Amino acid sequence: MRLKATGRLDLMDRRLLQEAQDGFPLTLRPYASIAKKLGVSETEVLERLNRLHQKGIIRKIGPALNPGRVGLRASTLVAMKVPGNRMRKVAKLVSRYEEVSHCYQRDNEYNFWFTVAAHDEVELEKVLEEIRLGASIAEDDVLDLRATKMFKVDVRFQLV
Amino acid sequence: MAMDNLDMKILLAVQDGIPIVREPFSTIAKQLGLKPEEVVKRLQRLREEKVIRKFEVFIRKRKVGITANAMVVWMVPSNRTQEVGEFFAGFKEVTHCYERRTVPDKWRYNLYTVIHGFKRKTVKEVVKRLSDASQVEDYLILFSVKEFVRRSSGRVRPEDLRTPRTNGRLLSGT
Repeated sequence: MRLKATGRLDLMDRRLLQEAQDGFPLTLRPYASIAKKLGVSETEVLERLNRLHQKGIIRKIGPALNPGRVGLRASTLVAMKVPGNRMRKVAKLVSRYEEVSHCYQRDNEYNFWFTVAAHDEVELEKVLEEIRLGASIAEDDVLDLRATKMFKVDVRFQLV
Repeated sequence: MAMDNLDMKILLAVQDGIPIVREPFSTIAKQLGLKPEEVVKRLQRLREEKVIRKFEVFIRKRKVGITANAMVVWMVPSNRTQEVGEFFAGFKEVTHCYERRTVPDKWRYNLYTVIHGFKRKTVKEVVKRLSDASQVEDYLILFSVKEFVRRSSGRVRPEDLRTPRTNGRLLSGT
């Protein structure tokens, strides 16, 4: 999707983020290569990226690893019905598991959604059961929605 | 090629982000007692081998105004999931598209798409377009109300480095 100017990003910020999003150079001085492409100094690139990082606009500059290739072979999406007054507590519990990568409150009767990735089926079931019991959610109020086919994962934004 | 312990150590060191300094990989190399060239060479190889799916800057959507984030779940007749899944995946507004198991009597939706936007109205318009074009009319738009956790799903854990045997078993081949 296309990002319009949001007041927080000027054109050079957006060109820079675009460049670093579309192909980050794995070289000894990656920011110098990006600077050269954009026709600015390496110092300016570093200053801008550090500012965007401090403001929280940049989450990280780094890799997205292929879960299966780093030994995480079992994963699922879980939906639960969590009573509103216990939402915060359950969220806190779930956040503590490093197997959990995404967790959102959504507006549906199944109002609590999270994704889990584990080394194998046994570990995955163990985490799910621990969370369900720890959160005191009835088995009937949980959906285990295993993926059967992946058609697309591509979270990229058009900035310029 | 299988990964060795050193690959894992490097991934562990970079997975939450490299420093924004002139020579970020030299900083990482120093921590690990390696030559910077070795770190770069291994990361390049891991990217070529698709262990690293992508290496880039990750933006916090909410911070740049993308606050309408919806998971849209669709009930697609089983003989059409392949066709509709491929069709939805072709839309640039769709960042994720999965087919998932249903739960009898509780949850009939089998195709999932994630769509981001500045406004709920825009997201709803995209969904309407997908629905009209695919003629799939049974769906739910689940907007996120609150984000509790958001991180990469592929992560190396310190305990993955434990022993060469564990390492081999987990990481060889595939």
